[in-house]
Amino acid sequence: MKLIELYIQEVTRRLPEKNREDIALELKSTIEDMLPDEYSEEDVKSILEQLGNPAILASGYRDRPMHLIGPRYFDLYIQLLKMILPIAAAISLFSLAANNILSYGGEGAVLNLILHVLGEGIRGILSTGMQVFFWLTLVFAILERTDHAKAPIPLTQSCKEWSPDDLKNIPYIPKEKVISKVEVFGSLLWTAIWATGYFYAANLLGVYEKGREGLEFVAPTFNQEVLHSYWPLVVMVIGLEVATAIYKWITAQWTKKVASLNMILQLISSIVFIVIFSNPHLFNIAFVQYLTDLFSFSHNPKNSIYWGAMIIFVIFAAIDSYKGFRKANIRKGPAKSQSI
Amino acid sequence: MSSLLNSLTTELRRGTLTLAVLSQLRTPQYGYSLVQLLEKSGITIEQSTLYPLLRRLEKQELVTSSWDTSESRPRRYYVLSEFGTEIFQQLKNEWEKTSQELYTLLKGEGEDEVD
Repeated sequence: MKLIELYIQEVTRRLPEKNREDIALELKSTIEDMLPDEYSEEDVKSILEQLGNPAILASGYRDRPMHLIGPRYFDLYIQLLKMILPIAAAISLFSLAANNILSYGGEGAVLNLILHVLGEGIRGILSTGMQVFFWLTLVFAILERTDHAKAPIPLTQSCKEWSPDDLKNIPYIPKEKVISKVEVFGSLLWTAIWATGYFYAANLLGVYEKGREGLEFVAPTFNQEVLHSYWPLVVMVIGLEVATAIYKWITAQWTKKVASLNMILQLISSIVFIVIFSNPHLFNIAFVQYLTDLFSFSHNPKNSIYWGAMIIFVIFAAIDSYKGFRKANIRKGPAKSQSI
Repeated sequence: MSSLLNSLTTELRRGTLTLAVLSQLRTPQYGYSLVQLLEKSGITIEQSTLYPLLRRLEKQELVTSSWDTSESRPRRYYVLSEFGTEIFQQLKNEWEKTSQELYTLLKGEGEDEVD
């Protein structure tokens, strides 16, 4: 009967070569055992129906699992994926941004450059993400098939089975003290934005007027040479901000150290801000003139802008430092854990 | 609802299949004769589960197998090995213990309902 041969073929082609003949022979004799002496195609069909889907039968004969990643590795896999994906995405984005900014020669609008970096960045993140996902999945799928430990007990991040001692490695963080990854990312993004603003102020910040071809750049806000003479100070603040963000990310909660670091950062950036802003040649004369004309100020608006900007900056810096210390001082947690 | 009951029942029975199969292999059996023996005692087993299970038991050295070609159609006979007999005894004791415990549990519940 042709159906029987086909069924057996469907099962055995999924099996390793060395078992095929033996299993085929056994299946054939079993099926014939089940059939009456005189049988019709209908009889055969009902027998094959009982034996079920050849793929399932074959997977029963094989020892290999019918899943890509089983319960033993799944948790570890997800944990690693969550850890590696953001890091890979951040690295690809930063290297791309750095590459573009370094190779920027000054021609073309800065907004175009930003849009270009954003577009490329999204593509870069997607392709990096896919690469990470693929290779990590592949590694785990191979592990799943090569690890012959029979116990289906999930593994922890130390690649061992769980024991109560693992709890000692987990920091207890009360909700109020948590520094979220979003917060860290936000502060990094803010650093990137204002740093871009600083270095491209001549082409970016200023007065725009509606012209024939969209917005036209009329007058830059700052005197570029004066602004850029402060670059070592600004680079120092950028470095400090990035370092603080990374430190916050690692600690993941407000501690006295984090709060102190945050306060130092706020203090230094306030000082740098005040130093830069108190330079009387900072603003572009054309810009000041433009404002004076626009609002028909009777006196020079420079002083009020200076004082306003400085006071606002210092107030925000003070509030931020205070918040850091308040969060660091929240005491909440398993009281007994200190003694262990 | 009945599909949930079905899956729970299947799960409940799955663990007992090995024991049921081992119990019938004290005398040599081939695939289909084993199915018939089990069905006679009211145990239905998916054939797609049974045949691979026999192979697995052989790989675990609980049973041994041999081809019998003396009859009209060649048949593969399975029988408990020495090691298999030993394991079967222990598994049987384990089952009797479990079912005794469960019986006590369920009986207690039955009395509660009567009260």
